[in-house]
Amino acid sequence: MKRFFVIVIWIGVALLGAGAFGKIAFDRGEPLNATWFVVAAVCCYLVAYRLYSAFVAAKVLALDDTRATPSERYDDGRDFVPTNKWVLFGHHFAAIAGPGPLVGPTLAAQFGYLPGTLWLIAGAALAGCVQDFVILFCSIRRDGKSIGQMAREEVSERGGFIAQLAVLAIMIILLAVVALVVVNALKSSPWGTFTLAMTIPIALLLGLYLRFVRPGRVLEASAMGVALVLFAVVAGQWVADSPAWAKVFTLSGAGLSVAIVVYGFAASALPVWLLLAPRDYLSAFIKAGAILSLAAGILFVRPQVLMPPLTRFVDGTGPVFAGKIFPFCFIIIACGAISGFHSLISSGTTPKMILRESQARLIGYGAMLLESFVGVMAMVAACSMTPGVYFAINSPSAIVGASPEAAASTISGWGFPLQAQTMVDAARSVGEQTLWNRAGGAPSLAVGMAQIFSSTIGGPRLLSIWYHFAIMFEALFILTVLDAGTRVGRFMVQELAGKVWKPLGRTGWMPGILFSSALIVAAWGYFLYQGVLDPLGGVDLLWPIFGIANQLLAAVALVVATTILLKMGRLKWIWVTLVPTAWLIAATMTASFQKVFSSNPAIGLLSNAAGLSAKMAGGLIPAVKIAETHRLIFNRRFDAAVTAILAIMILVLIVEALVQWHLILSRRREPVLHESPYIATRWAAEFSGTAHGDD
Amino acid sequence: MRHTATVLSRSLRRFWHGLREWCGDAAYESYLRSKLTRSGSCRTLTPAEFYVEQLNRRYSRPNRCC
Repeated sequence: MKRFFVIVIWIGVALLGAGAFGKIAFDRGEPLNATWFVVAAVCCYLVAYRLYSAFVAAKVLALDDTRATPSERYDDGRDFVPTNKWVLFGHHFAAIAGPGPLVGPTLAAQFGYLPGTLWLIAGAALAGCVQDFVILFCSIRRDGKSIGQMAREEVSERGGFIAQLAVLAIMIILLAVVALVVVNALKSSPWGTFTLAMTIPIALLLGLYLRFVRPGRVLEASAMGVALVLFAVVAGQWVADSPAWAKVFTLSGAGLSVAIVVYGFAASALPVWLLLAPRDYLSAFIKAGAILSLAAGILFVRPQVLMPPLTRFVDGTGPVFAGKIFPFCFIIIACGAISGFHSLISSGTTPKMILRESQARLIGYGAMLLESFVGVMAMVAACSMTPGVYFAINSPSAIVGASPEAAASTISGWGFPLQAQTMVDAARSVGEQTLWNRAGGAPSLAVGMAQIFSSTIGGPRLLSIWYHFAIMFEALFILTVLDAGTRVGRFMVQELAGKVWKPLGRTGWMPGILFSSALIVAAWGYFLYQGVLDPLGGVDLLWPIFGIANQLLAAVALVVATTILLKMGRLKWIWVTLVPTAWLIAATMTASFQKVFSSNPAIGLLSNAAGLSAKMAGGLIPAVKIAETHRLIFNRRFDAAVTAILAIMILVLIVEALVQWHLILSRRREPVLHESPYIATRWAAEFSGTAHGDD
Repeated sequence: MRHTATVLSRSLRRFWHGLREWCGDAAYESYLRSKLTRSGSCRTLTPAEFYVEQLNRRYSRPNRCC
């Protein structure tokens, strides 16, 4: 009888989700309520977790709770720490959730809410969660080895090297693009710049407290830090209102990018306890608080989604970024649906802390579902603002026009009515000088979040405070990704440079630290600076390249996972990883090809460079702009080369894997798995031995 | 009433314990409880030494994603 009721409940959940999806997909009447998005997403996640992840756990991976995990075998209290599954879920989620699921969906909203929402939910359930789950499982079975090490052992030596290079390349592009998002959010914003600048002395104070006063007392230090940061958000208004101080904190894009580069270098070279770690603590608490508040705010306010399901820009002529839904919607959404970068976390800290194999389902699959939900919330926040305002904030002036009147007229001409005065009022209400041309997703997301928050607490009076709270939240954890990434990039550079000259590989040698820090900062700083100088705002140039790099890394992770499944003899279930792999390869290779070779200069980097060259040759470029145009031509050719090299590297790895698969399937090579030997857990009696302990 | 209070206090204690573990506040206690430390095969670090050593480890590999 109980089983019957359980089945009825699950059928009810599935029908409710299908109904909500139907409403989102087919309703063309009044603006939709955001509740439909939440219901559709949550029902879909519940069904995917209950059925699909259980199937993957039981049939495909055959999780075995009688096998001791690395945390039990090596329990050293440092790397290998047996950790409660909910605590580890929190750790894992905090590690994988970055700016991607917030910025990507916000940018993809230019197609309308439908394509992005469908990909966020379906992509996560069928691809992103599967990747995280399977890689976590593979790493647990290999003593917590990294994706690079697994690629080397299971695919080929060359495959491992390519994976390592791909990780470094994606890291550089990622750091540049997230830094650009911060620059675009903070330029000409004394309030936002002051608030973010204040997080540095606050972090230093916390660092000294945690190191010398109360070592390791993270909670009390973070409580003090969060209080100080919130005070800095309020104090920012006083700074913005003071002409003298406002001048100090009003920085141009170029000025901000130099400041961020200097900060990145300092965070990489200084002791980690002084700046990087305390900022990370602050960021973790504020990120958790802001995401929970956004979820609660959406449920409480239930905003209307004003963006249409599909806009005219599905034809590839979008002002936020150019390109059609396929492949660019899947590239731009990035981490909210599937992220190659997650495979680094799933094969990093998490497998060393997990108590038993069955928990990989909750942590690997479940945490990615939650990240996808963050993406859906970002989509709702972006689509709940007036579409005209959304396009005014996110479109570069080179496309919509330099003056407010011209821009308002262009945007109205697209079918999204907008008055120039509306933008003046909007900027004033959030305490900014202007909201025009703030490409990057962060300001429009902050406006959407501020509208939701102020409808919950404070009303329009607190709109400016909420806007700057949202900007601070985005910028704070973007900078945390930036400084942590720069430091890890430094270690990667040292590892590679150490092969050329041994002392450079020593992580404690100061000249080596300074050299490698400068090298990694210069690499992402170059991309950042070209983005800042780009007449289209840079985000439309760099975010697609970042998306391509990230999705290519996901393809690498899934190729490794497929190879391992094949070696495990799971040919029958190989489609679980093979189908997402094929989809990702199709999307990323098409996007790479279009970014490099498309004859449309808005998409193709080479044709864009050729167009600029032709203009130069025809004398159509004013003399004062010739040097800038030379730089633009070089940058586009350079970016085309980077995109092509990334795609070729991944193709080489795929070919290596295909050769492996062919040899195994034709029985010309014995499949050799590099799993750690089976050791029975001492906790077997405590555990039930079932692979479904998390149900 | 007493039962509700007991359940509530147990839940709060669990939440507090989980929060301390999640943010790293209880990391030194976990270290002291670990098999390797209890075996006495290597010198036990002080809280300050452990804190710095743990941070250096954590931030030398990807631990924050995009």
